[in-house]
Amino acid sequence: MQVLVPGVVVAAVSAGALRAFVAGHADLSTAGTVFCGVFVQALPFLGLGVVVSGLIAVFVSPERLARWLPQRTGAAILTAAVSGAALPGCECGSVPVARRLFGDGVAGAAALTFMLAAPAVNPVVLVATAVAFPGQPAMVAARGIASLLTALIMGAVWSRWGQLDWITRRLPAAHNTDASKWTVFAEAARHDFLQAASYLVLGAAAAAAMHVLVPPVVFTHLAGHLVLGVVTMALLAVVLALCSEADAFVASSLTMLPLVPRLVFLVVGPAVDVKLFALQTGMFGRAFATRFAPATFVVATLVATAVGLVLVGGGR
Amino acid sequence: MSRETENALLLLLGLATAIITISGVYTRYVKPSLLPWLAAVAVLLIVLALSAIVRDLRRGRDDKTGSDEHTGHAHRRGIGWLIAVPVLLLAFVVPPALGAQAAAPIAITLSPNELRQPFPSLPAGRAPEVSLKEVMKRVALDSAGTLNSRLITIVGFTLKADSGTDLARITIFCCAADAQLGRLHLRGPAAAAAAELPDNTWIRVEGTIAPPGDAASPVIPTMTVSTLTPVDAPANTYAY
Repeated sequence: MQVLVPGVVVAAVSAGALRAFVAGHADLSTAGTVFCGVFVQALPFLGLGVVVSGLIAVFVSPERLARWLPQRTGAAILTAAVSGAALPGCECGSVPVARRLFGDGVAGAAALTFMLAAPAVNPVVLVATAVAFPGQPAMVAARGIASLLTALIMGAVWSRWGQLDWITRRLPAAHNTDASKWTVFAEAARHDFLQAASYLVLGAAAAAAMHVLVPPVVFTHLAGHLVLGVVTMALLAVVLALCSEADAFVASSLTMLPLVPRLVFLVVGPAVDVKLFALQTGMFGRAFATRFAPATFVVATLVATAVGLVLVGGGR
Repeated sequence: MSRETENALLLLLGLATAIITISGVYTRYVKPSLLPWLAAVAVLLIVLALSAIVRDLRRGRDDKTGSDEHTGHAHRRGIGWLIAVPVLLLAFVVPPALGAQAAAPIAITLSPNELRQPFPSLPAGRAPEVSLKEVMKRVALDSAGTLNSRLITIVGFTLKADSGTDLARITIFCCAADAQLGRLHLRGPAAAAAAELPDNTWIRVEGTIAPPGDAASPVIPTMTVSTLTPVDAPANTYAY
């Protein structure tokens, strides 16, 4: 508080000077605008996410969740993938929700599958893809299938090799059993929002910096070759950190590329990007994020390439 | 950082969100359709912050024993201060809307005939106003030739290109991070007047879109301009 109050006063006094300084530097104002774009766009979805995670804290105890989920791993992650597909959401909101659902054993794998499936395989995103690629329904099918497979594979991978001690971020324990439902809800939502929003700032700043330093044009010049195209588009998806409802329009405008690298862009983006990596670090811990995010990146890239070669082939 | 500081930052972020929502500044960063969601999240953040502050005050008055339950690791780290960054940007710096140099320029690919669909005809009238995005869509996808030798009106800003002056408009799909720059080359009798205007001058032009032929590579359509009038910049410079 001793820092915050003077800080606000200084910011208010120097606002005019700051504004003029930013306006005078084109790159700085672009970075600022892109940062605000990513952050403001994510904010409502993050809000929705923490409301859901607050409700989970109140109503869904780990024991209850374990009762609901099928006992067998395969059935559990399949259930999670399907329920993710039914909920239109955004990747920023699904990270805190997945953290709340996360538990031992089967529930852990199911929560991670849900986290990957919810933003990528929902009706809103698939309709946006159909609009962006008119006359190419194979693209929509390929996106849905590849994203679903990625989510299922990552759930299975976690249940096979994942270790709970990578999850270093603990949720505050519900110590006060006589607390009202509202208090439990508000404390959970507040905690998750603060945690996620701090890391969202990091992710949005990284996306803004990349936007200014590495214009997408650079990538498109590299991408005539299939393997090179797939790799560059996968990396572009990570650094641009677009939301899953918009990325299809960007991909459809990259007309110099064949469809397969563009499909990779659509499958990798909602599963892993700089913003999601930052959010996962905040909600689960660094040891988890540094393992899970690269693994997701590899799986999503390979699955999207394979599905793309089968379904859209050499189309442009 | 202390729990009080966290609550204060949460409150400030909620207020900053409310300010950009009410003042309309948010349209520099995201689509106007996000308005109800932004309003809702601003209320949510303010309510969460105020209720935490009230709870702490009550508990502080009742007893001091409850304080250790909130000294978890999350509150000892300084990362929470990062929330001050968007507060500073949104409430005080307020970065401007994207300029032409910041958006990814796009050319359009002409679809082969079998993928084209007939578009509905343009509104009646001498020169109906059509958005630049709609023009590009019709050039790329329309099989009914609705733009052929039809006089239309388009609003956009000037942008110097290698071969003359272009009419440009920035389109965003979701937020400023996915901005794209749509362009038309201006030619014809009134194009010379456009060349004399500095970049980023908002103009309204009347003219016809030249048939793009059947180029295989992406093209930027050309407009034959008959009249050109400078206009005021719109409050919201993006198209959607």
